[in-house]
Amino acid sequence: MNALILSAVWGIILMFCSILVKNKKAIGYIAAFGLLTILIGNIAETYGTQITHYNIYPMLLLDRFGLFFNTIAILSVFIFVLLSLIEIRKTGKYEPEFYTLIFFVICGITILTSYQNLLMLFLGIEILSIPLYILTGSDKKNLKSNEASLKYFLMGAFSTGIMLLGIALIYGGTGTFNLQPGTHSVVGTYHGISFLEITGLIILMCAMAFKASVAPFHFWAPDVYDGAPTPVTSFMATIVKVTAFLAFFKLCEVRVTDTLTAVNWKMIFAVMIVATLFIGNITAIFQQSVKRMLAYSSIAQAGFMMYAIFSLNDVAKEGLLYYAMAYSLATIGLFATMSKIKDYSFEGYNGLAKKQPTLAATNAIFLLSLSGIPLTAGFFAKYYMLASVIKTGSYTWLVIVGVCFATISIYYYFRLIQAMYFKTGNPDTIDHEITPFFKNMLIVVAVFIVLLGAFPQLLLNWFYF
Amino acid sequence: MDITTIVFWFLSALALFSAIMVITRKNPIFSVLWLIIVFFAISGHYLLLNAQFLAVVNIIVYAGAIMVLFLFVLMMMNLENLPVVNKNIWMKFLGVISGGLLLCILVSTSKSAADMNLKTIIMKEGNIGLIENLGKVLFTKYALPFEISSILFLSAMVGAVVIGKKES
Repeated sequence: MNALILSAVWGIILMFCSILVKNKKAIGYIAAFGLLTILIGNIAETYGTQITHYNIYPMLLLDRFGLFFNTIAILSVFIFVLLSLIEIRKTGKYEPEFYTLIFFVICGITILTSYQNLLMLFLGIEILSIPLYILTGSDKKNLKSNEASLKYFLMGAFSTGIMLLGIALIYGGTGTFNLQPGTHSVVGTYHGISFLEITGLIILMCAMAFKASVAPFHFWAPDVYDGAPTPVTSFMATIVKVTAFLAFFKLCEVRVTDTLTAVNWKMIFAVMIVATLFIGNITAIFQQSVKRMLAYSSIAQAGFMMYAIFSLNDVAKEGLLYYAMAYSLATIGLFATMSKIKDYSFEGYNGLAKKQPTLAATNAIFLLSLSGIPLTAGFFAKYYMLASVIKTGSYTWLVIVGVCFATISIYYYFRLIQAMYFKTGNPDTIDHEITPFFKNMLIVVAVFIVLLGAFPQLLLNWFYF
Repeated sequence: MDITTIVFWFLSALALFSAIMVITRKNPIFSVLWLIIVFFAISGHYLLLNAQFLAVVNIIVYAGAIMVLFLFVLMMMNLENLPVVNKNIWMKFLGVISGGLLLCILVSTSKSAADMNLKTIIMKEGNIGLIENLGKVLFTKYALPFEISSILFLSAMVGAVVIGKKES
């Protein structure tokens, strides 16, 4: 609740900053300060200090898992804002509004991590996506950004309609909006579960899979990620996607377990995982633009996050938190570096190691982490996902499939490392924007990834204490 | 067959027929006009289900405000110059398949849902749908979502200003 209230307040403060603050450079720092207070507020709530004691129980339930995820998400946003201060200033003409919308997205995140009612799920998803439609189109002079925004808006609005249909059917089946379905007492139903509930769940899951860009509902992702301004892509592909996964996980944890007698969910999720991994990895191989490659790679990573939703056990829970951290940090770093390079194609990165050794070295670590090489956070993230499947005791072939696709992913991640280190060229970097602060931030993120990879218990011990 | 059943079947048939007309008309203005009829038929259903307030709001907001807005926009655009929509036969084919699959699921659900037969709807009586009850629920049980939806509208408003403002 702290984070929810504080982020709404900071969103409004940033709105007024556009008339009250004359110094344009200060706005980014004000936003960063706001994020810091939200972060502190959320950590304080984790240990029992609340601003208000408003009774929110039937709607929201602030458990350790959700609060811990909030911390991860807000920390990622904080790092994202510090790394892209200059890009956000350059994107469009409305910097304060940009931050306002980001704060409202954080509101959505805090709702989605703690919802106990399908109504709140709907509100959370909407608060998460509506600011994003606008952020995607925030570069108003750029036709590609406009197209991406319109495409995202139309598809997103349609998927919201499908989601509402699903929720309405679930309501018809169970007579409640609560996430916990209560007792199945209706006679004459299949395994005690109403058909309406099952149909509603399937439709609701389609909508959630759309938001998390899981195949076969991934079609919007590459175009939107490619067309959106780079900082927005970075924000969308990491924090927002991971949050959508968490909401998906919370939904499945209760409802899938509850309807397991009636529907073979494991098979449905297994098919989705294989399709997502296949489409994400195989298409990423053929991309010539790094931005598009990262868009497909984010679909591939979504496939790995689906493993958590497949297995739905404690390892999956821990793994999802760990994956959220590892994937978000690495991808934010990669996108931040990309926005300093004028040419987004692989050729544009040729010889980066000679010209900007810090950028190249940190990027190499990020790419290694994404491909899951040991000693980086990405390795343990993938390990936890696969371990969670093994723990369920069935569908072990999914693990083999996952490992195969992780191996394939090494090809396109290493292609970028090869371009940076082993090819000669003069990359067109925006040198005056690569400040010592930016470099230091990248180094901090890279060190963090290596630390997480070397001592995975650092993060998870904190989760339990 | 009492009068409510007759009204129900009439409204259902009207809603379905006009919905089909909406998607088959070539001229978008006719589509919008048919859509208004769909909204009226659905409002009739709301009335049957004791949701008087919802029925009125549906007519005022959807049939009144939004559809009139639609018509204005359509009339202001020059429809003659609209590009011809790409009508790939395969796309149509796939669309029919996926739509048909959804129809299959929905029909089989409503057909085999035995629990639906046991439920009866209270018709013609009750004040469940009156605005007084809505207000009570909105400010007690659903106070939190009610407040939080203000953030949603605020973000949409900020977005409208950002997108709509003229750039010098």
